[in-house]
Amino acid sequence: MAYLFNTPEDQRAMLEAIGVSSIAELFEVIPAALRLNRPLNIPPALSELELSQHVQRLATRNSPAGQSVCFLGGGSYDHFIPAVVDAVASRGEFYTSYTPYQPEVSQGNLQAMFEYQTLICQLTGLDVSNASLYDGGSAAVEAVLMALSVTRRSGKVVVPASVHPEYRQAIATYLANLDAELVTVGTPHGRVRLEEIEAAVDDQTACVLIQQPNFFGCLEPLAEVGQIAHRAGALLVAAVDPISLGLLKRPGDQGADIVVAEGQALGTPLQFGGPYLGIMACREEFVRRLPGRIAGQTVDRRGRRCWVLTLQTREQHIRRDKATSNICTNQGLFALRAAVYLAAMGPAGLRETAELCLRKAHYAAEQICRDERYSLAHGGPFFKEFVVRDGQGRVEELLADARQAGFHAGVPLGPWYPELQDCFLVAVTEKRSKSEIDALAGCLAGSPSDCTTVYA
Amino acid sequence: MLFDLSQPGRRAARLPASDVPHVELNELLPAEARAETPPPLPELAEPDVIRHFTNLSTLNMSVDTHFYPLGSCTMKYNPKRNERMANLPGLLDLHPYQHEQSLQGLLELLYELQRYLGEISGLPAVSLQPAAGAHGELAALMVAAAYYRDLGEQRTKVLTPDSAHGTNPASARMAGFDTVTIRSTPAGYVCLDDLRAKLDEQVAVLMITNPNTLGLFDRQIAEIADLVHERGGLVYLDGANMNAILGIARPGDFGADMMHYNPHKTFSGPHGGGGPGAGPICVTEKLDPFLPAPVVGRRDDDYFLDYDRPRSIGRVRTFFGNVGVLVRAYCYIRTYGPDGLRAVSENAVLNANYLLSRVKHFLPVPQGDRCMHEFVASAEHLKKEKGLKQPAMDLAKRLLDYGFHAPTVYFPLTVHDAVMVEPTETESKQTLDAFAETLFRVTGEAGEVLAEAPHSTLVSRPDEVRAARQTVLRWTAEQPAS
Repeated sequence: MAYLFNTPEDQRAMLEAIGVSSIAELFEVIPAALRLNRPLNIPPALSELELSQHVQRLATRNSPAGQSVCFLGGGSYDHFIPAVVDAVASRGEFYTSYTPYQPEVSQGNLQAMFEYQTLICQLTGLDVSNASLYDGGSAAVEAVLMALSVTRRSGKVVVPASVHPEYRQAIATYLANLDAELVTVGTPHGRVRLEEIEAAVDDQTACVLIQQPNFFGCLEPLAEVGQIAHRAGALLVAAVDPISLGLLKRPGDQGADIVVAEGQALGTPLQFGGPYLGIMACREEFVRRLPGRIAGQTVDRRGRRCWVLTLQTREQHIRRDKATSNICTNQGLFALRAAVYLAAMGPAGLRETAELCLRKAHYAAEQICRDERYSLAHGGPFFKEFVVRDGQGRVEELLADARQAGFHAGVPLGPWYPELQDCFLVAVTEKRSKSEIDALAGCLAGSPSDCTTVYA
Repeated sequence: MLFDLSQPGRRAARLPASDVPHVELNELLPAEARAETPPPLPELAEPDVIRHFTNLSTLNMSVDTHFYPLGSCTMKYNPKRNERMANLPGLLDLHPYQHEQSLQGLLELLYELQRYLGEISGLPAVSLQPAAGAHGELAALMVAAAYYRDLGEQRTKVLTPDSAHGTNPASARMAGFDTVTIRSTPAGYVCLDDLRAKLDEQVAVLMITNPNTLGLFDRQIAEIADLVHERGGLVYLDGANMNAILGIARPGDFGADMMHYNPHKTFSGPHGGGGPGAGPICVTEKLDPFLPAPVVGRRDDDYFLDYDRPRSIGRVRTFFGNVGVLVRAYCYIRTYGPDGLRAVSENAVLNANYLLSRVKHFLPVPQGDRCMHEFVASAEHLKKEKGLKQPAMDLAKRLLDYGFHAPTVYFPLTVHDAVMVEPTETESKQTLDAFAETLFRVTGEAGEVLAEAPHSTLVSRPDEVRAARQTVLRWTAEQPAS
């Protein structure tokens, strides 16, 4: 067997040492009636070369970003990833190790976790970060569960419709088996109205979850929503775009008690939605309710500074059914990627990235809407995403045509928002050039000659 | 520390100048939304970043550098060919909201993976959505809750054996169930009398790990499943230990209704210093309608994302799933095939039994002479013999000095001073011999040598109490450098 170690001689020697005559004997403990008496019905083994050829064939039947020009967003973005991120994350010492249960031989991972936590605190303006959760959506769920626990309120969780629909679906899935109720506040204008939040929040509300910028790309009145939540004794949970924090005020400086984010934008490839990075940070006072691994600094027996997994009494392997969460395996490799990304970007790089996104998105919105068929669905400030309304209401057709011309032009919103059946969401990152944007606008306007300029 | 290296004005990444017509920032973004300064991140040059993290990496033990017999975690070698495949741009750079027509190759891969996982488990309905094993447990328990809601039954309890992973009771709690613990017999199996006593019409699910966390296959499994089914309950199999039975026995054939896989264990996804994993779940046909949506469907030669599942529990996360991990699992299964997967388990079990046969003479294995893919020894006798308080921990620490990652210690909770060893099939007899000899040598060393181990690592015995009491969870500028 090409990929196994034991030679027939090894096997014989080992069986002899064990005191059995065959490997089959080792499995006799499994009652015969419960054993599978036929080969598995899966394809026969491939060599490495055959595997490469096979998977490459599959890969050519996809249109990745880079082959098609990607204007898709909705929580996953085609941002630039500096080479240093891959260089670090492809070190076997990082990617083939596991949770640092033995701190003496895991100081690399532990220190990287501690640095990641620090970078996330610097980015969000909060006091404490965990070492990662699965993704933005499950981080939002965990934040809601944490708010229920912190406030000891099991009544309501208030979430406007401008929060990512898949975050809201995940929250609904989790709350279906618990006591709390998910109250969705409509956002027909593309962002929350304070009086509607005020009306939804009461003394049984555990938290208000706001996304900033929201799912439509629009800016929300985060601080004002926070004041409403706090007046009612509820927490403010903010789901943010980490790239936007190169420009926008930090959620921690605007009253957020818990911040979550999809960390994919910080150096993780698109890979069809995962594995990504769930970012979660909170105020100091809630740290013992924070789910997930946390690295803490301490000293060893000789007084040397070092790092360990800490506050483990919150966790499932110690507290079992009383744990703050069931999470065990997390997204360590992507927390590392985020740490390297932020270290490589620094404040100036993050600022410039955010500014490029902002400028190019606004330019794209303007260019697309030069054709009177299109308009922006929502007014007011936005960051790197915006919702385009197609006056002819033929979104599916339009996006199919654009696809033919080499564009992933946008995300149709109809499946989530029936009232936005005629709309699609466009995201513009720093990677999109003016010529790509012009070509997209030309393509949407129905002048195919413009489409070709993209590859000129 | 990264932050000590920071110098104002340094930077690594450089971005292009804006190529769109210049507009004043104030016109794009209201002043009140904007931060006056960007976040106070460190300022570093590219060589700073690379040296810093490369040097950090050398402080880790990993599968690529060391034998890593961490019981229950299946730290097998991660084939490099799978890394190369997962990093092909045609798989890596796919956006989760791309149209299905631009994803046919990936969807075919995922569809086939669903089928393989269904075949290997004997449970044909598959969701690839959960992000890790514990997430899969939780999703499956939600599926069970939805199933009983659909039947109009109120069931409130989940049973877990005392040897279960901590994630089992924690997941049950998050799914809204009360957990009830089932005792194990001294031989390490589910105590049937205790199970009978605790089984009633309130029980929704029995969660069981088989082979269990002691590395033993519970022969009573079919009877256990029958008892649960007679009371209308469902059996959940924690698939953490699938590496022992690939192609040999299938959970669906021995009575499980639901299970999760840990592809990062069984199918060799690299563990990434803590993650990512994935936690696909497989269930019987009657539970299929409740699985998280979407799943990958096929219509003639077209693959599509099937959202049309009205009885689905919904989503448990954003986007499709941990596709990067699933692609590696697919590649793994394709390069082993039916005979190869069976050989994986045969050699995993052979390696564990061989190591057990060498170790049991000096480190007792309370639950007997044989095991599946891992075994649990007890270091309890060293307490008295050497005056040690935590002998299993001390052995673990001393092994680090000899260049071996430690086994899992103090789990499962049912064995005193547990030393849980899982060698996996990707280790040679020579490595196992060297490990056994070292373990033997270590058990003969003086108590004080063990109690203060490790001696050769950069740090030794971090003060965990201090870490938890005087918490320092991030770097701050005021900290004295050391």
